[in-house]
Formats: sequence, structure tokens, C-alpha cells
Amino acid sequence: MGRPTTAARLRVGVARFTSCGGCQLTLAGLHEALLAVADRVDIVEFAEVLSPRSSGPYDLLLVEGSVSTPDQARRISELRRQARLLVTIGACATTGGIQALRNWSDGDAWRAAVYPQPQFIHALRTSTPISEHVTVDALLRGCPIDPGQLAELVTALLVGRRAQLLDATVCMECKARGTVCLISSQGAPCLGPVTKSGCGAICPAFGRACYGCFGPAHPANVEALKAQFADQGRSDEEIGRLFAGFTANAPAFRANARPPLAVLDQPPVGPEPAARISHGFPGVPPLTASGDDDARQ
Amino acid sequence: MPGTAEATVSFLARADLDELIQALRAGGRRLIGPTVSDGAIVYDEIQQAAELPHGWGDEQGPGHYRLTRRDDERTFGFVVGPTSWKRFTFPPTVPLWRARRDGTEVSFESAEPEPAPLAFLGVRGCELAALGVQDRVLRDGPFADADFRARRANALIVAVECTTSASTCFCTSMGTGPEVRAGYDLRLTELDEGFLLDAASDAGTAILQRLPVRAATDAEQARASTAVAAVREELGDPVMTDGLRDRLLANLDSPGWASVAERCLTCANCTLVCPTCFCTSVGQASDLDGLDSTAERHWDSCFTPGFARVAGGGDFRARPQDRYRQWLTHKFATWVDQFGTFGCVGCGRCIAWCPVGIDVRQELAAIAPPPESAARSTGVREARFVVRATAPAREPLVQAQASPAPAPVAPAGTGLDFLPAVVRSCFPETADTLTLVLGDVDPVILAARPGQFVMVERPAFPAVPISISRLSEVHLDLTIRAAGFATAELTGLGPGEGVGLRGPLGRGWPIEAAVGRDVVIVAGGIGLAPLRPLVDRVLSERERFGAVRLYVGARTPRDRLFGLDISEWGTRDDVEFAETVDRAGAEWLGRVGVVTHLFDTAEWDGSQAVAFVCGPERMMQAAAATLLARGLAPERVYVTMERHMECGVGLCGHCQLGGFFVCKDGPVFSLAELGDAFGREGL
Repeated sequence: MGRPTTAARLRVGVARFTSCGGCQLTLAGLHEALLAVADRVDIVEFAEVLSPRSSGPYDLLLVEGSVSTPDQARRISELRRQARLLVTIGACATTGGIQALRNWSDGDAWRAAVYPQPQFIHALRTSTPISEHVTVDALLRGCPIDPGQLAELVTALLVGRRAQLLDATVCMECKARGTVCLISSQGAPCLGPVTKSGCGAICPAFGRACYGCFGPAHPANVEALKAQFADQGRSDEEIGRLFAGFTANAPAFRANARPPLAVLDQPPVGPEPAARISHGFPGVPPLTASGDDDARQ
Repeated sequence: MPGTAEATVSFLARADLDELIQALRAGGRRLIGPTVSDGAIVYDEIQQAAELPHGWGDEQGPGHYRLTRRDDERTFGFVVGPTSWKRFTFPPTVPLWRARRDGTEVSFESAEPEPAPLAFLGVRGCELAALGVQDRVLRDGPFADADFRARRANALIVAVECTTSASTCFCTSMGTGPEVRAGYDLRLTELDEGFLLDAASDAGTAILQRLPVRAATDAEQARASTAVAAVREELGDPVMTDGLRDRLLANLDSPGWASVAERCLTCANCTLVCPTCFCTSVGQASDLDGLDSTAERHWDSCFTPGFARVAGGGDFRARPQDRYRQWLTHKFATWVDQFGTFGCVGCGRCIAWCPVGIDVRQELAAIAPPPESAARSTGVREARFVVRATAPAREPLVQAQASPAPAPVAPAGTGLDFLPAVVRSCFPETADTLTLVLGDVDPVILAARPGQFVMVERPAFPAVPISISRLSEVHLDLTIRAAGFATAELTGLGPGEGVGLRGPLGRGWPIEAAVGRDVVIVAGGIGLAPLRPLVDRVLSERERFGAVRLYVGARTPRDRLFGLDISEWGTRDDVEFAETVDRAGAEWLGRVGVVTHLFDTAEWDGSQAVAFVCGPERMMQAAAATLLARGLAPERVYVTMERHMECGVGLCGHCQLGGFFVCKDGPVFSLAELGDAFGREGL
């Protein structure tokens, strides 16, 4: 089996769809680690940092943002063809982002209310994750993504091993840090027990209940947590708001989210996320962001 | 203070508590004790008595914990909080080893445990018992966790008897409290005006002698005893522990598991706040070139998604109910088999810190109810925490009369060190499987027995468990299928390149049990790899065995392993050899069909035979059924089980199968040993 990743310089690009740009800036914010990475990769496309623009093909394309316009839907398909490995980064790219709250509303009515000349606004009915449009090879969650996870993903790619991204709940990280559980000690509406780990449990460490920006853990027993919140005296509406955040459109949260001003009980459901894993490097097992590697033979 | 008649009990005035704090901190010892932080009483570093939670209490229930203000200034007027002492004896993250690659050479360096001296102030009876439980798991077995051992040896313990309780406490049922009886350096019981204090070790006595204490009066001692006895009375005996192990194991198919799984978040909080849970995983951090990596152990939990997953994505405990069952049956049943005590000490943390308030006491009562007729004992029960002095001896695989019984596995050093070896040659077996012939192997590892395995590591990659597929005086063969990144790295190696080996690990095939008997060997797919050293041994000592029958199956002709050996086995007239493939094209002239078809209609009588079987679990089940039908005794049918393994020595918890750690108690088991754990879903 070959190990093509260990010697080659990777052509890396960063593409932006509907998003705030914060996840790209996490890459820029790697500072020294980025300089070390720069010795091993050619970053050919990174609009937030580099003036020159380039085009594919890419060995690795980091995609930020959701698909929310017809033009973006076309562009992601083109980019996929140019990318050997396509990794989506951040809550927008992996779930549709905060802008997916519009999936619950009447887009035309909003457009007419907000814009003087709504006919110039070409937006899709929904904001959707990249994986509903093309196959993705790995994903980094979060709003924004965690710099440590990004560095680990790039390192793993260069070394040719699986990225070691903790596959658990935020609770695991609270306990490792020694943060006192906000649910038991304060009755706080914390989504940590149903939210994927990876952030380092930053918010609870500062007394703020987790709002699920890393998206659902797997499995995520949302019903049981909702029942607990209800027992604590919270209304259905209040509980629905908790899930109507940055990852509201993630499948396990979608049915439970009640965004303010929603006109639909359930947003239209797009195609199931592709969740297909392409073999970016022949002979090397698929790059997945979670799961087990090897075991006894 | 019951049971201290012979010891001198001293009295320390409340105003002098800081003298104790400073005496404990003398000589650079870090003092860990209770303090109020973020709305709870946590354990953290203490510099002076003022940092202790004077006047604070706690109110606890399922999924509920609140700090409360007491109407007195008691220092230990609370129960237990979210922190347990394992945070300091068994920290969330511990460096294990550093692995480096320089050209073709690899080197490994184990991390040195950090021996910082600690003192723990305020260890409750249940917590002291929990430290004892972890001692048995991590320190007193055949393999010790070096870091835990060092931390534990350096910790001075000041225990506190409970004079208050929470609704979540059930130490009385588990026999761990509220009294403190043994295992401490200093023991303390709080009264309004001060503390009763006695020492049970030289270190404790030395500290006591430096304190401004006087002898406690009889009246003070009586008041202390009464206060502790009142807690015992208040708690009663909420969990019926008599027969609990058997009741739980008899209810593995209870609908209660699915019911609790509807409420369980599988968030892992219960296991992380538990003072005895010890499951860990190993992570690797590497530089960008993969030349220098550090392995770290971090807390894990049997509730996390990848915990029981193996190569190819199979997950032995895929459903939340499987995970909850694993946790509860381990705490209250199989822990007893493994370590001679319950894994639960009754501290109640898993109840208070479960976000949805699942109460183990209720789940136990629902799933494993005490018999109707059993009268609940309500009176005072003596501590009966230690169920047995030691774990029950397992049936030896090798019969007593057999010649040299294999010594307990004792790899070099701590048993946890990687030793380098060098790839001498590589033989492709199939499209994705390769045999590495290793040289320069440490003699300890070369002394492996057929059926044992080694952990194999390349720097920057996770260590993987690989069965030894051939042993000689100078070489050790590993047959590896590229199932993930780490195995792909190994199958990509060429001659001259180095790998790290740790082992030999596990129980091998009990060859001696087959001496003088007919031998049946059944292999499916890569299951032939761990069987080949057994075949080698049996054929080299052919005269010691009766008839030898060897049945080999593969998925397709392209998946056949060890072509040269197979040719040789097929030509021997002292071996009955047959092979088959599940499916084949026109080019295949041999047999087609599952491996059991090779012997399900054969003429031989199996009543005196010994069988060795390895392959996918479903194939082993089919083979086992066929063998039993042919008259083989379950004690003489040996299979080798696959489970997720990380440490290989029974310390990380991943490979648990009922009351076994597959890595250290197996991977070879007889059907009789496995009982209904063989083939049961979700174990």
C-alpha cells in the first residue's frame, strides 16, 4: 500500500460559501502552526489571507459556508470535481448554519419585506450543508471550528493517518476540564449531553450552557433531554428555541427546533446528507472524522 | 469512632485547623481538599484553612445538586461533589510514551511517572473504598499502571467520617461508609467545636505529633460516634446487594435495559464522575512529518460511540441499551468476578450528575428485583464491601498434570514498553494482506506461545493488536490486513524498516490440553493467522497427538493465505487437510461452500477431540455448533475472540466481554468458559 501523502506537497484551497468567514480565520489564526504547515503545503486559494486568486485542482479543499443560492449549488459541484479531498469546515458547511433558520419561514415574504427590489435577490428556498450537494471526505464541526481540530486534520492528512477527533459529547470535555455540570448544579438548559465534542467545552467553563454549535452527537437522545428540560419547568416554545441555533438544521435537531417567527413546523427536508466517503488517496482507507481505526486482526 | 478503642483519639480545636493544613503541606506536598467553586464543592489545591467550605452544605437528588448554606460553620458539612479523587490519582490525561522515527530506525521512550507528593483532605468512607477499588484494577493485577502506582504511593490520606448524608448516598448498602475503618493516614470526625483525629500510619502519626491537640474526652468520642451512627440509620439499606450479581446476570435480556435506554443520553457523565471507572483510550499527537509522536492516555467511557468498535466498523455495543447494560452489569456483577468487589461504592455521584437523573438504585430494583420473599434488612449492617479477598481463580486452560505450565505473561519492563524490531521481509498474501517477517525481536517477545498477540506501533500511528502468525528462534511473523490507516502503514513497510512491539500478550492456545487427543483446527479467513503457529507446533511434535484434522475456509480463492503452507499441509499423510472457499469462479477446482461443510458429514468421532477455531464470530458460532454436534465437549472447543483492544493488558477496559478482558483473559477461550457470552448480542 502506498503512502502518497508523506512526501508530496499538498495544493490546498479554501472556498467560502454563505458564512461569516470565521472558520477561515481560524486557519489564519493557527499562527506558528500555520507557518509549519506552510512548509509542507501550497495554499493556493485563501481569499481572506492571500491576494492572488487561483483555481484547482486541489489536493485538499476546505469549504466554509452553506449553499443558499442557485449559483452556489452550481459552484460546489464544480469545486468537487477539482478537489481530491473536500473537507467541510464549520456549522454552516456541515449543517446549513444559523441562516438555515430561514428554512422554517416563508422566504418570499421576508425578501419582500427586507429588500426594496426583491427581484434582484436570487436565493434558494433553504440553506443547506455542503454534504447535501456533493460527497464530502471529512468534516470539522463548530461555530467556529476548533483550531486544534483543524491542525490535527491537516497533520493527519500529511502523515497519512486518521485524524484523532474525539467522538463523544461535550460532557466528556467538561469532565476532563473539571467544569461543574451546569444542568445538575444550576438547572441550566445545556445541550452538552447531546452535542458532539470537539470544542473543548469552552462555554460551560465560563458558566454558559452549551448551545450545540458542534451539532448533534451520535447518538443524540434529544427526546430524553427535552423531557428533562420540561420537568425543570420549561415550555415547549422555550425548549424549541434551544435547538434553533447554529446547527438547527442538523437532522437530529431539526425536528426539535422552533425558531422564532417560524411559519413551518418542520422545514422542507433536503436529500439525506451524502455521508459518502470518497477514497481520496488510492490505497489509503477513507478519511473520516470519527470512528475507530484499526483493531485486532 | 467505632473500632478505635486501642488507638488514641485526639482533639483539634476548630481554630487550629490551619495548623493541620500547614502540617500536611510541609515539605512541598500539594494539598488537595474541598473548596467552593462554580456552585459546587470541588476538590482543588488548598493553601490555607480559609479556603475550605466552612458553613456550606449540599442538597442532592437525581440530576440535581445545589450548594446550601448551613446554619453552622461545619467544615465537612457536605457529602460528595462532582470531583472524585481519581482526578488526582488517575488524571484525565497522562503521557504514556514518545515514539520517534529516524530514517528506518524507530525508538520508543516510556514517560516517567510524575511523583509529586500529594495529600488528600476530606476523603469519605465511600471514596476511600473507591481508591481501594482502583488499586485492585490498576495496581494489584498482573500489570500495573505505572503512573497510578506512583501517584497513589505518594498520596497521604486524611479521611473524614460522614456526619451528614444526601438523598443520593447508598454507602450503607455497598458497605463503604459512613464510617471510615481502614486505609487512611489520618482520620477525622467533625464536632461543632473541632475535630477528633487519629492516625493509622507513621506518616499520619508524625503529622499528628506536630499539631496542638489534646486527648479527646469520652464524651466527645461518644458524640462523634452517635453522629456517624445517625447517618447510617438515616440511609437505611436502599440497595439489596445480597445475590445482586446473580440477579443482574440472570436478567441480561430484561426489557428494563431498553426502558432505561430511552432515558439515557449516553453522554458518559455517570462514568466520568464515578470514582472507580477506569476506562481510557490512547491518542497520538505527532509532528507534521510523523517522525515524532507522543501517546497520551485519556479518560474514556463505555458510553462513547467508538468504545467497542473494531476494524471494519463493527460495533459490539452499538445500541445505547448495550452500553448501559455493560456499565451497570460491570459495576454490580462482572466487577465481582474480575476484582472480588463491587465496582460501585455507593457515593451516588452517577445519580446527582446524570443530566436526566437516572437513579441506579431504581434501575437495579427494576431490572434485578430482590426476591419477594427476601425480608429487607433494616438494621445496622457491618461493612461487607470486600466480597472476596481476591478475584476467583479462573479455570486454568492447561490441565494441572500437563508439562511446563506457561508462566504468567511478563513482558520486559513494566509490560507496557514498546521494543523495536526490524522488518526482514514482506510476503504479500492477498490484495490487502501482507505477512511481515520481523527480526531483531526482543527475546521476551520471541518467547511467545502460539495464539498470543503483540501490540504493534509505528511512530505517529495508533498501536494495533496483531496476532503472531509464525514463531521461530529468530523471526516473528505478523500477518496484517490493511483495514485502517495504522494497518495500512504497517502493510506499506519494506525490509529494513522498524516497528515497535509490546508483548507477548494474552493467553495462547492451550496446546497441552490436546496432547494425546485428536486435534481439530478450523480457520476462517485471516483467522488462519493466529492458528498457523499452533499448526506448526502440532506438526513439529506430531507424535504427541492423535489424528490431526485441519479445515481452512476463505471467502474467495484470492483471499487464501499462506499458499506454501497449504500446499505442504495438503501433501502430508499424517494430517487430514481440507479447504474451501465461499465463492469462486471457473478457475477454482477445489471445494466451494462454508468451512463447516468440510466436516459436518465426516466420519470421525469428536468425543475425545480438542478443537481450535478462529475466524469471524459468525463463522466460529457455526463451527462451534457443528463441533458440539459431533460430540466435542464445550471445555475442549477453543475459540479466539475479537474485541477492541488498546492496552492489551486489561487496564483500558475496551475489550470487556462479560466478566473477561479479552486481551488478558483471552483472546483464547473455551466455549465452556464463555458460556452464553459467546454469540450474545451487545456484550
